[in-house]
Amino acid sequence: MLALVTVSAIFLRWLPQHGLPILLLFAVSAGAAAAIYFTQRRRYRARSRGIRKENVDADITAVLWTAFAGVVLGGLGVGIVLAG
Amino acid sequence: MTNSEIPGGAVPPSRGKIAERLLPGGEEPDPRFTLANERTFLAWIRTSLALLAGGIAIEAFTADLFLEAVRKGLAVVLLLLGMLLSAGSAVRWLRVERSMRKKAPLPLPLIVPLLAAAGALAAAVVLVFILWR
Repeated sequence: MLALVTVSAIFLRWLPQHGLPILLLFAVSAGAAAAIYFTQRRRYRARSRGIRKENVDADITAVLWTAFAGVVLGGLGVGIVLAG
Repeated sequence: MTNSEIPGGAVPPSRGKIAERLLPGGEEPDPRFTLANERTFLAWIRTSLALLAGGIAIEAFTADLFLEAVRKGLAVVLLLLGMLLSAGSAVRWLRVERSMRKKAPLPLPLIVPLLAAAGALAAAVVLVFILWR
């Protein structure tokens, strides 16, 4: 989550060079960070219960969403660089 | 005891449709291994985010250092690599999780040689450009 927040701030740094489209990158990374922040307590609770029961379900949805956010950020970045 | 070994014929707890579909069969692995697999995935995601930020940075900040084609080329290589790492890390997580469920040997990490090759290529492009300039 902190990595996404940091990267979203770095994206904002390129606003003067790339203009408003960079806000899309900021929105995706900051949105992903916010989603992680607002769900981490629930996931942490589920994990600690799972460790106590010695049975933790793999959090496949979170993994797929995080990877998808990375792919979207990359795709938008390529689009912005090529269009600039 | 695993989900598939609940005594008395009780119905095992549902894992959700996506999990049943993408991680079929086998038994739930040791929680420590599942959590370690997730930490490795997150480490790859951090690398991917660094590449994405680096790609944008190269394009924005090296205008007076590189020719436009070299600058855009390097930026696109880094961004594509970041995308590929992001998708590859999810695939790797899935393959490792499947292997652990089936108590099979862990698969070789395909994204490691890919990352090494792309990193070497980007470094070679920069080196050639600096020597040629």
